[in-house]
Amino acid sequence: MRTAAHWNKVASTGNDIVALAATDKERTSRYRFYSRILSAEEQTLYAQQEARTRLAFDHYVWLLWSIKESVYKYSSRIDREPVFSPLKIPVRRLDPPSDDEFYKGIALYGPDTLYSRSIIRNGVIVTVVSSDKDFIDTRWGFTPIGSSSYADQSAAVRSLALNELYAIFPGTNLRIEKTGSGFPVLLGGETLLDIPLSLAHHDRFVAYSFRLPSNNCAYKKSAAN
Amino acid sequence: MDRRVILDELKKVLSPYTENKELLANIDDNTNLVKDLKINSANLVDIIIDAEAKYSIEIDFDSAEKIITVGNCIDAIGEKIK
Repeated sequence: MRTAAHWNKVASTGNDIVALAATDKERTSRYRFYSRILSAEEQTLYAQQEARTRLAFDHYVWLLWSIKESVYKYSSRIDREPVFSPLKIPVRRLDPPSDDEFYKGIALYGPDTLYSRSIIRNGVIVTVVSSDKDFIDTRWGFTPIGSSSYADQSAAVRSLALNELYAIFPGTNLRIEKTGSGFPVLLGGETLLDIPLSLAHHDRFVAYSFRLPSNNCAYKKSAAN
Repeated sequence: MDRRVILDELKKVLSPYTENKELLANIDDNTNLVKDLKINSANLVDIIIDAEAKYSIEIDFDSAEKIITVGNCIDAIGEKIK
């Protein structure tokens, strides 16, 4: 199995999805709830940016949650004993969509700066984070599914991610497994591939992200194993 | 309060967020809320707030971030209702 230092070298990926219909708007808007997710600075950030972002407060809370969860998932591949503490993953900046549909953010995890892109569409918030602010090698997507059972979510998100990977690596034999630490890994035959993958599901939605090596041609051979 | 009593009450708190009730019936200190019980991480704050309401306690942020397993949950609750 790859070491944390190895994953640190090949970079990582992290994503999250929140189905807004499965959240409680009234509860989310209570201080007792949102103060466990948003720091005082992030609460101020909302007040300062409400006019720019045009986000309802509960959507803002879940948007920042999804950024923080994505950062945690990104980091869990590198830091084998991470603790998900939303208040310790500060979101320092959040820009509303301009010439695209992405909310763009900057978050911190310890000494690391990560960039986020989020979409709010059709009742879901979907986020991906990367150490690359341009997300050049990151692929991500989401889809609604017909069931909210864990088994169906798990099968659907794997199928969605593999379909996207097969479009890039046609004719290969890919599969997804989970490590003992809980994060998914991609295998080509019996070979563990250096393509970090993140999966997310909530209610009737699933989402994936993965990060291709900078020169992904070199990986077509190993993926074919 | 006895840990077993807290565990039995905790099962009721976790129930709305757990799909597999058979798994829930057999949880112990080592059960991981997300990995084993398949609770969606988006519900972790709900669980803390529900536990606070059930026992009329306040679980501080430092204790909350350590809640990964059922045992951690029982520790956090037990500490406050001593």
